[in-house]
Amino acid sequence: MFITARLLANRHPQFIARTVFVQNNNVDDACRLINRILGKEGILEQYRLTRYYEKPFQTRRRVNHERCKAIYNEDMERKIKFVLRKNRHEPFPGCS
Amino acid sequence: MLCAIRNSLRAPLASVGRLFHTTPAQATEKFDHKRIPQDDEGVQGEKLVDLDSVLKAKQNLFPTLESDDLLFDGTPYKHLPVCNIRVSHNNTIFTLTDAAGVVKLLKSCGVEGFKNTKKGTNIAAQTTAISLAMKAIDRGIKTVRVKVRGLGPGRLAAVKGLQMGGLDIVSVTDTTRVSWNPPRPRKARRL
Repeated sequence: MFITARLLANRHPQFIARTVFVQNNNVDDACRLINRILGKEGILEQYRLTRYYEKPFQTRRRVNHERCKAIYNEDMERKIKFVLRKNRHEPFPGCS
Repeated sequence: MLCAIRNSLRAPLASVGRLFHTTPAQATEKFDHKRIPQDDEGVQGEKLVDLDSVLKAKQNLFPTLESDDLLFDGTPYKHLPVCNIRVSHNNTIFTLTDAAGVVKLLKSCGVEGFKNTKKGTNIAAQTTAISLAMKAIDRGIKTVRVKVRGLGPGRLAAVKGLQMGGLDIVSVTDTTRVSWNPPRPRKARRL
């Protein structure tokens, strides 16, 4: 609770937000972890998107493309799951 | 006989499962990301998948309220000197400050002798970091916290170089300035 209060009280809560402690002098791992977290939270993406102005038509295109990709990925995952499923009615379809 | 079974199977299967979208999302002429080579931004591990297992395996990775007063090398965390690293595509700038923000040391890849495009490489960042670390140790600074701002080839190399130079890094903080309602950015580059 207090940590939330501190995060909210400060506009730029340094050394408490976006911070990773280095363990066993393993700096590489700490960097990787923080990069991973930033990537997952969409912070790096937002940073890259706001380097240059994106015209509205580009935004539309990008969003549409993302949608298409998401649909394709979801269905491909479904398809792969379907093909790799274990308990089939007919173990080897087409080989009667 | 088998055919009949298969037919009876096919009907419910077709009605239950919807058809797959089997055509991949086509990259159009202007949206082909593959054409532009991905440049090194020092964000290795961004796409790492098993974050949860990493987090589970380790304790005390993230700061808490008490971490301000944790002792590192005899100094509380909040009084440790800070090494600010400003990374961009074209340069990497290091400033070593004390806890209050007074600059003690400043070094950039340009100062180190790298000129023009060479400034923006990871090798330049690493060399500069090592020499800064040496200087810092001469001044008696041994343990630092690191703040990294911006994306660029030097991002990972800089932090690594500080360690190679002999500095003891306690924590890595990201202070990249990101806004979700920024003022209008500059116009897009034309490639």
